[in-house]
Amino acid sequence: MNPHHAHDSDNDDVPRRGFLARATAVVAGAITCLVPLGASLGFLLNPVLRRTTGNSDDADGSSGFFSLGIRPEALPEDGTPQSFKVLANKTDQWNFYPNQEIGSVWLRRLPDNQIIAFSTTCPHLGCHVDYRKAQSDFFCPCHFSSFNLQGARQNSIPPRNMDTLEVTINEDGIVCVAYKEFRGACKEKIPS
Amino acid sequence: MMHAFTDWLDDRTGYRKILDEALYEPIPGGARWRYVWGSTLVFVFFIQMVTGFCLWTAYSPSTQTAWESVFYIQHMMFLGNVIRGIHHYAAQLMVVLMAIHLIQVIIDGAYRAPREINFWLGLVLMQIVLSLALTGYLLPWDQKGYYATQVATKIAGATPVVGVDIQQLIQGGPNYGHHTLTRFFALHAGLLPALLVAFLAVHIFVFRRHGITVRDPNRAPKGVFWPDQILKDAVACLGILAVLMLLAIFRGAELSPPADPAEAYSAARPEWYFLFLFRFLKFEAVEHFGLAFGAIYVPAFIMCLIAGMPIIGISRAGHRFNVAFTWLLATGIALLTGLAFWEDKNDSNHQAALAEAARDAHRIEELASLPTRIPVTGAVTLLREDPFTQGPRIFAKHCASCHFYNGHDGRGRIVTEQIVDETGHSIEVPAKPVAPDLGNLGTRQWMRAVLVDFQNHFAPLKNAQWFGKEDGVDPEESEMNDWSGDRDALLSDANQENLAALIEYLVSLSGRNDIVLDPARVEKGKTVALDGAWAGDIAGTSCTDCHSTLAEPFEIGTEEDYPDIAEYLSTDWLRAFLANPGSPQFYGDKNHMPHYADKLSESELNLLVNWLTGNFAPTQVNDYPTALAKPAATTADTPQAH
Repeated sequence: MNPHHAHDSDNDDVPRRGFLARATAVVAGAITCLVPLGASLGFLLNPVLRRTTGNSDDADGSSGFFSLGIRPEALPEDGTPQSFKVLANKTDQWNFYPNQEIGSVWLRRLPDNQIIAFSTTCPHLGCHVDYRKAQSDFFCPCHFSSFNLQGARQNSIPPRNMDTLEVTINEDGIVCVAYKEFRGACKEKIPS
Repeated sequence: MMHAFTDWLDDRTGYRKILDEALYEPIPGGARWRYVWGSTLVFVFFIQMVTGFCLWTAYSPSTQTAWESVFYIQHMMFLGNVIRGIHHYAAQLMVVLMAIHLIQVIIDGAYRAPREINFWLGLVLMQIVLSLALTGYLLPWDQKGYYATQVATKIAGATPVVGVDIQQLIQGGPNYGHHTLTRFFALHAGLLPALLVAFLAVHIFVFRRHGITVRDPNRAPKGVFWPDQILKDAVACLGILAVLMLLAIFRGAELSPPADPAEAYSAARPEWYFLFLFRFLKFEAVEHFGLAFGAIYVPAFIMCLIAGMPIIGISRAGHRFNVAFTWLLATGIALLTGLAFWEDKNDSNHQAALAEAARDAHRIEELASLPTRIPVTGAVTLLREDPFTQGPRIFAKHCASCHFYNGHDGRGRIVTEQIVDETGHSIEVPAKPVAPDLGNLGTRQWMRAVLVDFQNHFAPLKNAQWFGKEDGVDPEESEMNDWSGDRDALLSDANQENLAALIEYLVSLSGRNDIVLDPARVEKGKTVALDGAWAGDIAGTSCTDCHSTLAEPFEIGTEEDYPDIAEYLSTDWLRAFLANPGSPQFYGDKNHMPHYADKLSESELNLLVNWLTGNFAPTQVNDYPTALAKPAATTADTPQAH
């Protein structure tokens, strides 16, 4: 038998002291465990608790649109897609990278001279969608998503059509695109 | 004396009892080879701890240092390639051994009472090992790991409701970056191994409590763990070590080019043991139900079923079901893996992407090994600023719709087009170039073709859509062809040396440093070019009759009646030409080639020009395989082969 217990049994307020001791031990123990655990959990949840944005600002400082450095006339008249890099400033935690490629887009010039833009990121799992000249389609080499030149999906591998992006021509006559990244693997086009 | 010491030690620690229990475990039916698998797993895990610790001492997790430190381990450190190779292959072997161990446990019914808990502990260990494999794959921060792991985290992002938060928690932010690496590394080297050690200890403890599952205890006399079983275990581990050493030394671990979010990687595939899942997701029928179905619900259902096996297997029929399901699953996984390999092997685009990845990997190894080493911005800048790497990509994107490069699009892919055959079906056929092949641009071969075979050299122009519709660009009607067409005189024995000298002189104009020239011939060629020092009918016809600036320094804006070929095919000349081939200085009104001044950025134009003119750090890397039929007579000045 526990010697302490034997000693305690002689005393009248055993249950009371026993309860107090246990309760205090539990509370003290809980605090010693929960404080560091809670703080650690909070630290680890940093990415969702202290959300940063998509990390990019348009290089020329205007709102949401990125210059692609090309004039509409320079795009092929027959509507052949051409890909362009989207450059922007980028941050990665403690680093700032000026004028980095943050993505790329496919541009097409339609017969009425309208310009349409698609994100090159596959809406399935985010691989890079290629243009296949011979098949005259867009094709993702990872899981074989395919889209026609209007960006409409041609099989059920991608959950949605290619993501279209808003296009404007700035005052210098240069094509600008409102480049965004969208969530992959879902039916709706939701900016990520 | 020794005895006194061990007695004392035993008195203080009680080690003998622990050792006795560990070593003298009875094995009913004797030691057997089929019991080695668990021990081999422990052995391989031990190897991973040791090699992993070594790698840890040299690894630096950040986007500018991860690939760089792994490169240093792999290529510069003493035994670095061996240590990394062992760690790389042992990781794969662990997955294989785990599968064998699991299948054996199920077949033997070793999951049934009283060993259910231990079976479940084993499944937990399996998840930990797979997580270690997944997190480890990203750490080199190479293209392969970067793109393959992105698919995995995007799948996590497809988890219903909490997917996006989970994805951000795993990758440490909305995009891949420093914190993706620091988190993966903390998991890979910290939490997961600690969990593995803890669960492994419990797994072995519970295993010892119930003993080995023996089918027939009367098969042989009872054995003892030490030395009967340990001998067999040791031999098996030795075999595994031999396999690992052979793989590490003779095959080595791959290090693909540094991760570049801006550079698509079409060769991306998960590590081979996850390939079945990758192939499963490619079935349209599977994808039809959404990504979460194929990538989360189906695997989760299978895992739950395996976890439920001890309960299903209580009845004899249930056990039979378990065994049948296991074989079915194993066969399915094997078939899907085989199918994925077979498809990739027969996919010329995937093979081209693999070849390109190998080319880049070899090239970055060269660049990073130069005395200038890797800049603080990371190895990725070396590749981004390298003409030998970027030139072909820019060519494929902007030039290959008219010009080919050694018969391909610059990146080793055959350019194809869709045509309708006699039966009305549309078929894919190799496309015809509509402009000269630029694979030998600026070489002796090129100069010779322009001089003596102008008409054929530019014959692809006849495939162009505009050919025949507009005047002035038929290569057969060019004035240059009139001169070049006088082949009897040009190719006569008397002019053989003159021609060779002229070719040498023209090559010298480009100033490229990857073709070794004969100075005497260059001097002689100059007199041929400027003074028309020919024999026979063409005597006195000098190049400068038309191309008057030939021997002068190149200047943008010079105007002649004929194309300016001062410093022909030098970087300055080619840059100006590509920027505006329709300028009066070059083709003028006859031009059909697009102007690239407004299509390419200055840096892209420079990369393209420097690649085409051989102006980049020397390389031993094999170029993209030529898609041309071998010419009868080849010249020895193929660029890039210094």
